[in-house]
Amino acid sequence: MGALQKYYKQSATYKIFVGILSELTEFLDTVGKITIKCFQLFKAFFTSKIDKKELMEQCHRFGVTSLPITLSIVGMTSIIVSSQVAEEMVKQGGGHLVGLLITMLIIREVGAIMSGFAITSMIGSSMASELATMRVTEQIDAMEVLKVNPVEYLFVPRVLAGILMMPVIVILVSVVGVLAGAITSALTTDLTFIAYFDSAWLGVYMKDLSVCLLKAVAFGGTIALISCTCGFHASGGAKGVGLATTKAVVWSFVSIVIWDMLFAIAFFF
Amino acid sequence: MSIEVKNLIKTFDDKRVIDEVSFKVNDSETLAVVGFSGSGKSTILKLICGLLKPDSGEIMTTEGDIAMVFQYSALFDSLNVADNISFALRERKDLRKKYNEDELKEIVRQKLELVGLKGIENKFPSELSGGMQKRVSFARAIVTEPNTILYDEPTAGLDPISSTLIEDYIVRLKEETKAASIVVTHQMSTITRTADRVIMLYDGKIVFEGTPEEMLRQENEYTKQFVTASLEGPMKMIA
Repeated sequence: MGALQKYYKQSATYKIFVGILSELTEFLDTVGKITIKCFQLFKAFFTSKIDKKELMEQCHRFGVTSLPITLSIVGMTSIIVSSQVAEEMVKQGGGHLVGLLITMLIIREVGAIMSGFAITSMIGSSMASELATMRVTEQIDAMEVLKVNPVEYLFVPRVLAGILMMPVIVILVSVVGVLAGAITSALTTDLTFIAYFDSAWLGVYMKDLSVCLLKAVAFGGTIALISCTCGFHASGGAKGVGLATTKAVVWSFVSIVIWDMLFAIAFFF
Repeated sequence: MSIEVKNLIKTFDDKRVIDEVSFKVNDSETLAVVGFSGSGKSTILKLICGLLKPDSGEIMTTEGDIAMVFQYSALFDSLNVADNISFALRERKDLRKKYNEDELKEIVRQKLELVGLKGIENKFPSELSGGMQKRVSFARAIVTEPNTILYDEPTAGLDPISSTLIEDYIVRLKEETKAASIVVTHQMSTITRTADRVIMLYDGKIVFEGTPEEMLRQENEYTKQFVTASLEGPMKMIA
């Protein structure tokens, strides 16, 4: 029986099964940690003293330092899409809809989702590695021994900055995206700015703008919450910091797509 | 009584790191906890200050704050020295409105003076030497006037002179604060210069309890091996 058990434990089936089980456990563990932190954060929003200086610092980090990258990414995406679509639409007689298509695309999807990805790679990863470093160098332990709640001190200003700054970023990148589309269309076809902007507003309603801002709030809060949680629960040394950062980026990316799908189902299905 | 630990058990991954450990530390007394690396010394400190939860057993402390000085100082690297020391007074719910800015500055100055430092309030931890960082972490630990101070390898990685200086401050802080202290160390000078009593841990259990002088007499085979740093003896290192 012992030999059979040993043989079975060396088999590929057993190893695959154990691998899947450990991945599943890890997945559920992360979901649990994020959920718990979400509840603790919700409570902390009402009970903690918000450090205005720290909040401003985090807002600057979230909104200002990330702006060149988010503006470039959304601007370039708009150029890529409009340079391929505008000429073809004009040829097919749909030139009067180019502005509408690009504007809808930017406001409904590209602005928020591309900004979310850019912010995750730039700010989310840095938040996760910062908190992970604090964890592995015992700074978070020191905070707990000093009876200061780490969720109130570390999570609240970061998540609040994400919630406040993400809509601002999305508004700015959307404006740049629509303008980039207009310039590209004018350069690649004989469409005028007036024709582009006349059609731009045809299919854009208050609902689109509201959903766009709601998405931005959800994305900003989620990126900050996931990044802080992954960093907070890091363990080990440098390797642990690296793993926490990777985990924060992957989980934030997936969460952004899940949020986007839920918004699409809830508002446009 | 300031700290009393009874039948403490802590297990990590089926390995019993702390196995029914009991001891007592009185006010104005310093207990040194010694043993090989991985013998559960730091785990005891983390259990006492609440960073870890015991599987079973009791930890009783006199009402009041517990402070801990971490092995690598654990200063907040994004804050300067003054903000590090006054951190608990600024951020703790029960203390944050107690002091105004001038009072905080004065407290920081006093605590720095107590650990032999001055004029470094605006420096960041990365600008300080290891010994200075350690002393700043002492100042941060005592800012809330704790009645229990835990030191996790306070002299590890320091040169002999800095170690002596830190040991002197451990004695001075005990005299000034009248706190019960536990020092986790494997440095003989730290044991002899700071401790009133010593317990030695091996395999999660206490294998020796006595004064530093009794330990140096090497009447116990465990202390004999530890003091002589011998590979031969009842304690086996896992290679």
